[in-house]
Amino acid sequence: MRAPNQSRAHLWFIAPALVLMFLVLILPILIAGYMSLTNFSLGNDGADFVGLKNYTDIFTKSTYEKMFGATLRYVGVTVPVSVALGLGAALLVNSVTRFSNVYRTIYFLPVMAALIAMAIVWEFALHPQIGIVNTTLERGCGTWLEVWGWLARGCADGFPLWLGDRDYAIWTLCFIGIWQGFGFNMVLYLAGLTGIPRDLYHAAEMDGTKSGWEKFRLVTWPMLGPTTVFVVTISFIRSFQVFDTVEALTRGGPSKSTYVMMYAIFEKAVKQNLMGIGAAITIVFLAFVMVLTLIQRWLVERRVHYV
Amino acid sequence: MSDPAINAQAAPLTFRFDWIETLKHAVLIVGALIVLLPFYVMLSYSLKSQAEIEGRLPTGFFGAQQMTVDERCVARGAPDRDAIAAAATRFPGASEREIANALAREVEASCMARPVVYNYTTAFTEAPLLRYLLNGIIVTASIFLIQVLVALPCAYALAKLRFWGREAVFGLVLFCLLIPVHAIALPLYVGLSKFGLTNTYAALVVPWTISVFGIFLMRQFFMTVPDDLIDAARMDGMSEYAIVWKVMLPTAIPALMAFGIFSVVAHWNDYFWPRIVITGDRSLFTPPLGIREFRSDLDGSLYGPMMATACVIVTPLIVAFLVAQRRFIEGITLSGMK
Repeated sequence: MRAPNQSRAHLWFIAPALVLMFLVLILPILIAGYMSLTNFSLGNDGADFVGLKNYTDIFTKSTYEKMFGATLRYVGVTVPVSVALGLGAALLVNSVTRFSNVYRTIYFLPVMAALIAMAIVWEFALHPQIGIVNTTLERGCGTWLEVWGWLARGCADGFPLWLGDRDYAIWTLCFIGIWQGFGFNMVLYLAGLTGIPRDLYHAAEMDGTKSGWEKFRLVTWPMLGPTTVFVVTISFIRSFQVFDTVEALTRGGPSKSTYVMMYAIFEKAVKQNLMGIGAAITIVFLAFVMVLTLIQRWLVERRVHYV
Repeated sequence: MSDPAINAQAAPLTFRFDWIETLKHAVLIVGALIVLLPFYVMLSYSLKSQAEIEGRLPTGFFGAQQMTVDERCVARGAPDRDAIAAAATRFPGASEREIANALAREVEASCMARPVVYNYTTAFTEAPLLRYLLNGIIVTASIFLIQVLVALPCAYALAKLRFWGREAVFGLVLFCLLIPVHAIALPLYVGLSKFGLTNTYAALVVPWTISVFGIFLMRQFFMTVPDDLIDAARMDGMSEYAIVWKVMLPTAIPALMAFGIFSVVAHWNDYFWPRIVITGDRSLFTPPLGIREFRSDLDGSLYGPMMATACVIVTPLIVAFLVAQRRFIEGITLSGMK
């Protein structure tokens, strides 16, 4: 304590934040943990304690198997592709001599635009009959482009319904997710690239590293390590939380092929008022996200020592 | 935007033609076209008539802007018995059917509009879009203000004051950084509805009043502020409260702006949380809920107005971004600096 008048001030400075942290962040987790062991529903105060039934349901019923399947498919595709595209775009934008600002601006636009609005626009662009995507594909019919088997089949049997198609819906949502998120990753990578000292490239040249690929492998990629750890983690957390596109475009369908976790929580708890099962999914979800973030922190701390 | 053809032509004059450079631009341009596609669709369709959107009339980006009849307006203005009786004096000697037809033609004439005018006026009249925008401003502004009010003093205390338990509080902040607020939406929703707070502004704001990320960020920033500055202020007899708001706040303006952009973008665009706590009461809708509602009661005749709504909702942030790009990118990527 340096000055006497400061001895009480910190309490007033810390207290509001502490109280809110407890009420808004900690307490809800405890409540969710408790609710997940009951069959609580809103408007019905007498909830029964059901033990781990909600959890055994989650890990045995086929609905939830589909939920994990859809979530993993979405995360498994969106994360690697949006990270790779982000890195690729950053390297390209960084290496061109002109217009790099223009590209950066364009690629960043989807990050700023309200995803719900753009999702609806995408739905419209992907409309099976009048959407710009299928009408453009139809123009390829009857031309040399038909050497591409997929297009030829589309011309013969009709093009996919995209969001209404059980085989395409989840991948279409992945595409929208990637479209929206890779510019964010690109900007993070661009920041990472500016942090690499020029000297390292000169040093690598002195040591006989000639090709661009070798320079990337020996200098750029290792130096981007911390950025990559962060980009991967944040992409994981963002794509685990995918909701807007699912709720607006597919509602988990067709036949639960896009039934991701956040939508499952919303549907079970908010729409069907099955709070217990919704809370159990919440807890499983939180566990996923926290483990991921802890892995990231551990990686970052380990890296700090040798970069 | 750059064009490879132009580059290739200009190349011999200014610099050596470079295949690799051209190839890079080609890849980047294809990427840019895919990224821009939905923006193109949104803007273009917000200018077109229904027939053009459905592909019955092929037209360019701006549409033909031919006068089109607004069917809904015609349906609203359809002459009933009283109107026909009242108009009988204007058409002496005409049969009732002829009068009805003449009146229908008049209504149709008054319902003609250019597609762009029709789309944007319908966007604002079909749903209270202005109200949604206002709600968006109220919610994002109050969230940001409260976040700063709570986080700034806390960050100052964590960075510059020494007290018992400081490390524990900071540890708690680091732990809370792990919690995505969207993930705990369900218990928050239950809590709010227990207190009867769903369908209020409070419900939209409360979960976001505490930004542990803001505390963390400001704390890191305050760590870099020299102690001398604060000691000098104390010598001048300033209280700790005055130091927070009169000394620390002004030094933190750049960091606060970045954080503000981060916060405003996140909450202006947020759909998940409003979707949960606002059920039905249109006067509390935020812009994302507004466009969602527009889509769900789409009867197939309002594509143009819907795209106009999308444009109106997306434009404020896009324009702000284009004007202050550097700051926006700094703000949005802030989360990358931890």
